Amino acid sequence: MSRFTQHPLRPLILAGVLTSLAVGVTACAPPGGSAAPQASSTSDFGAEGPTCGDEDVVLSGYFETGFPLPKDLTAEFTKQYPNVTFDIREDQFAVITQNAPRVLQDSPPDLMRLPQMSELATDGLLLDLDPYAEAFGWTKWPESQLQQLRVDENGRRGSGPLYALGLNYSMTGVFYNKSLAEKIGMTEAPKTLDEFDAALKAAKDAGITPITQFNGGATGGLAFPLQALMASYGDPAKINDWIFQQPGASIDTPENLEAAKHLKKWIDEGFFADDINSLDYAQMMSRFIGGDSLFMFDGDWESGNLDTQMPGEAGFFLMPPREEGGQIGAMSAPLTYGVAATAKHPDCAAFFLNWTATNEKARTIGVEVGGSHPMGPADAFMPPVKEGSTTAATLAAGAQLSEANGAMDFIANATGAIYAQSWTPNLQKLVAGEQTAEGLLSSVQSDYESQIGN
Amino acid sequence: MIVRAREKWLGRVLLIILMLVTIMPFISLFVTALHAPGTYPSGLEWPAEPRWDNFVTAFQSANMAALLGSSFLIEIAVVPAAVLFATLAGFALGHLRPAGGRIVFVAFILGLTLPFEGIITPLYFQIREMGLLNTRWAIILPLIGLFMPFAVMWMRAHFITMPADLSEAARMDGATTWQLFWRIHIPLSVPALSSLAILLFLWTWNQFLLAIVLVNDPEKRTMAGALGAFQGQYGTDIPLLCAGSLLILTPTLIIFLIFQRHFVSALMQGSLKG
Amino acid sequence: MVSAPPAAAPVVSTGAAALDSAAAQRRRRRKFRASVAAYLLVVPAAGFYIFFVLRPIALSAQYSLYEWNGIGPATWVGFANYVEVFSNPKLTGAIGNAFELIIYFSIIPVGIALVAANMIRAIAASRLAAISRTVLFLPQVIPLVAAGIMWSWQLSTNGLVNQLLGLFGLGGVTRAWLGDFSTALPAVGVIGAWVQVGLCLVLILAGMTKIDPALYEAARIDGAGPIREFFSITLPGVRQEVAVCVTVTVIAALASFDIIYIATQGGPGDSTLVPGLQIFYLAFYQREVGTASAFAIVLMALVLLIVLPLQRILRGKES
Repeated sequence: MSRFTQHPLRPLILAGVLTSLAVGVTACAPPGGSAAPQASSTSDFGAEGPTCGDEDVVLSGYFETGFPLPKDLTAEFTKQYPNVTFDIREDQFAVITQNAPRVLQDSPPDLMRLPQMSELATDGLLLDLDPYAEAFGWTKWPESQLQQLRVDENGRRGSGPLYALGLNYSMTGVFYNKSLAEKIGMTEAPKTLDEFDAALKAAKDAGITPITQFNGGATGGLAFPLQALMASYGDPAKINDWIFQQPGASIDTPENLEAAKHLKKWIDEGFFADDINSLDYAQMMSRFIGGDSLFMFDGDWESGNLDTQMPGEAGFFLMPPREEGGQIGAMSAPLTYGVAATAKHPDCAAFFLNWTATNEKARTIGVEVGGSHPMGPADAFMPPVKEGSTTAATLAAGAQLSEANGAMDFIANATGAIYAQSWTPNLQKLVAGEQTAEGLLSSVQSDYESQIGN
Repeated sequence: MIVRAREKWLGRVLLIILMLVTIMPFISLFVTALHAPGTYPSGLEWPAEPRWDNFVTAFQSANMAALLGSSFLIEIAVVPAAVLFATLAGFALGHLRPAGGRIVFVAFILGLTLPFEGIITPLYFQIREMGLLNTRWAIILPLIGLFMPFAVMWMRAHFITMPADLSEAARMDGATTWQLFWRIHIPLSVPALSSLAILLFLWTWNQFLLAIVLVNDPEKRTMAGALGAFQGQYGTDIPLLCAGSLLILTPTLIIFLIFQRHFVSALMQGSLKG
Repeated sequence: MVSAPPAAAPVVSTGAAALDSAAAQRRRRRKFRASVAAYLLVVPAAGFYIFFVLRPIALSAQYSLYEWNGIGPATWVGFANYVEVFSNPKLTGAIGNAFELIIYFSIIPVGIALVAANMIRAIAASRLAAISRTVLFLPQVIPLVAAGIMWSWQLSTNGLVNQLLGLFGLGGVTRAWLGDFSTALPAVGVIGAWVQVGLCLVLILAGMTKIDPALYEAARIDGAGPIREFFSITLPGVRQEVAVCVTVTVIAALASFDIIYIATQGGPGDSTLVPGLQIFYLAFYQREVGTASAFAIVLMALVLLIVLPLQRILRGKES
C-alpha cells in the first residue's frame, strides 16, 4: 500500500469527497416513512367462523427449541385435520427475541412464539385477534387469562386489542428433588421464607448444591427467584403495573430492594452453584434431573418433562410468603403465540389456536406434555392427573395461586429489550459481585424509562 | 543455513506442542460428537458406546444435502463473477492505465479496511427494498461488491507486472484490446486467477454476518450461516451440535487439504504484492 | 486541462504546425477512446462496488443523523446519535473491548508466528516443517463460527481446558472461562489468537524465504547467537509480511463479530461486547437504526485511523 506513504492525505480527502457526494445524493429522501405493513383482512368469516378450509394448507411456524408441547400439538392437529401440515423453524428463545421484528416483517409466520409484545404490537407487526376472539368466544373465558395478551396503542399492556393467545397459562415456583430433600430432613414444602432459608442452609451444610439456576449468555434466569422474592416482600399488582408500563410505575421500590438484598444474601452465602453465569437453561435442567441440586426455580412447562425423566422425584411449591398465610405471588404467563400481521393463513392459524384450548385431546396434551393448565373456559375439560406426580403438584399450586390472585407476568417482559440488555447483564454482575442490590434496581429502572420513552 | 542440533531439537518439540494446541479443538469436537445426544460429556473422554449415528442424525436434521447444494449455488454465482469483474478492472487499471486510473484504484483500496458491520444495516434495508431478502441473491450480490476491493487490488497487482511490450507487440499485429485481453493476458494470469478464486471461495463459504442478517431460511444461506442456525436449534444438545459442526467444517477442510499449495502460494503472493 | 496563459501559447498557423496539431488532436482522441475503453472494463467491478459498498456507506452516514426504528417514519436528530456513541459507557466499553482484543488477535499471533516460523525455518527441509505449515493453517480455513463453537465447548466448566488444568495440578484455577467477568474477554481473545496464528505464520514464512542466506552465514561467522540473528536479520527481513499480518489481524479485532456472537453474545454483562456485535443488536434487535449507523460510521473511521498510520509505521519508506 505504498500509495498511502506517498500521499497520505489524498485517500482521506478522496474518501471525504466521495462520502459527501453520496450523502448529498441520498440526503434528499429520509429513510423509512412507509406505513406499517397492511394486515390481512379478518372480519368476514362466514357461517361457521374461521376454519382451515378443505384445501391443503401449510402453516409456517417459528417456535422455541427445547419445548415439545407446540410440536406435539401440531402433530395431533395434522392427525385430526390431515389437510393441514406445518413447516416449523426452531430457535432458542433469546434468538427469537432478537429476530422477532425482522422475521415478522420479512417472512411473516402464521404462528410464532412471541417474546415481549409491546413494540411488536405498536409497530403493527402482529395481527389483531379480537375478531377471532369474538368469533370463537374467547371473550367468555376468565378475563385474567387474556389480560396479559392485550396491548393498547401506547404499548401499555393489560388492555387494548388482543394480539396473542397462550398455549397454557403457565406458572412458576420452586421445584425440589425429593430424595435430596429427605437427606436434609425436609419432608414438606417450606411455609415461610425463613423456613426456605433454613432449608437452603441445611443443604449447603450437607454438601448439596442448594440451587442451580440458569444465568448465562443472554438469559439471566436469576430473574425468577428475584421476582418470586419480590412477590413475597411486596404487592404482585404493583409489579404487574411496572411490567405493563403503567404510567409512574417503578421497580425501584423499598420492598423490591429488600427482595434484591435477600437474593444477594443467597448469592453471598453460596446457595447458588458456582458457575451459574455460564449455565444456560438446558444445562440447568440437565443438572437438576441428574440430581445435582436440591432446588430449581422454573415453571410448570417442565412438569411433563420431569414426570417422564424423574417420575415421582420432583416436588413443587410456590415461593413461600414472609409469614405463614401471607400474600403469595408467582409469575404466571401464557406461552404466547401470535399471528404475524401479514401472515398467509391467519384464519387457519387462529383456528389452530382455538383448537388447542378447546379440543379435548389437545387439552390432554397440554397438561401431559406442557405440564400446566390450558387456556379456556373455567369449566373446560381437564384430563385426570396422576397422584403424586409433578404435574399434579403444579396444577394444585396453580389453583392456590388463582385463589390468592397472585398471578404476575415476568419482569423480563416489561419491554422488548429489558431482559437481554438490562436484567441479564445486571443479574450477572450481581452474581460476580460487581453490582449491588440498589444498583441493580436503579439501573434497570433507568433503562426501562429510556426504553419506554422511545 | 547453519543450525545447531540443539536448536533443531528444541524447535521440533515446540512446534509439536503448537500443533497439538491447534489440533486439540478439532479432536475434542470429534470425540464429543460421539457421545449420546443430550448429555454433557466432561472434557475429552472417549464415550463408552460411540454414537456414530449422531453424524447421520445431524446430517438429516440440518438437511445437510440441501445446505451443500445451496452453498455451491452461492459459490458458483459469486466466485466466477467476482473474479471476472476484478480481472477486467485489474487489467484496465493495471495494464491499460487510463488517465485518472490511480484515483479510481484508490477508491477501491479504501474498501479494504471496511468492516462488514459498518454497512450491514443499510445493506439490509437496501436488499429489503429490492425485495431480495431471504433469497440467495441477498448474499450473492453484496458479496461480489464487497470482494471487489481485494480482488481488484489483487489482479491489478498482477497486471502491473506484465511488461508493456507484450501488448505493444500484439497491437502492432492488429489486435484489439479485447483480443489482447482474452488471447494473451488471461492465459498468463492463470496462477493469479486461481489463487484469487480459491480465496474468494473460502471467504464466501465462511461468510456469516450477511447470511444471518439477510437470509432467514437456513437452506438458502452459506454453510457458516447454516451453522449459526444449527447452533440455534441444537445449541442445547452438545453432542449433536458438535457432530453438525464437524460435518459443516469438513468440506472446507477437504478442499484446503487438496488445494493446499494453492492456498499457501496465494497468501504468499498476496504478501509480496500487497 | 490547465490552459497556459495566452502570452506563452504558440500562435502558429503555418501548414506544418497545423498538421502537427491535427496529429496531436488525433492522438488525444485515440487516447480518450482508449481511456473510455479501459473504463468500460472497470464498470462491472465499479458498479457492484458503488452499489453494494459505497452507497451503503453513504446511507449509513445518512441514517446516523436520524432516529429510526426501521419501520415507521424517521425523525431528524442531527449529531445526537454520535453524542450517544461517545457518552454511553456501554458503547465506549465496546470500543475498549475491541482494542483489548487487538492484543490477542494481533500481537500474540504475530509473536507466536515469529517464533514458530523461526523454528520451522531451522528444520526447513523436513517433513515436520511441511506438516506443521498445513496443520497450523487449519484454523484459518474453517468458519469463525465453527471456531467459536469448538472453543465454547472446550472453555466450559467441564471442558477440555479445565480438564487439562486439572491434570497439571492447577485444578484451583478452573472455572467457566467464558462465563466469568474477568476472564471472558481474554478467553474470546484466545479463540481469536488460535485462529490468526496460522495466517501470520504462513506470511512470515513466505517472507523468510526472501532473506538472503548469505546474511546468516556472515552473522554466524561473526559469532552471533540465534537471538541476535533473529533480531538483526530475520525480523527486519520480514517487516513487510509482519505489516500485512498486523493490519489484517487488527481489522479482524476491531471488526470482530462471528466468534463473539456464537461464544458469549457479548456477555456476561457487557464484558465481551464489541462494536460489531453492538451494531447488530442496536440495528436489528433494539431497532435503533440511527444509533447503530452512527456507531458503524465511528467504527469505520476508527479502523481507518488505526490502520493508516500503522501501515506508515510498519512499512517504512518502501514502495
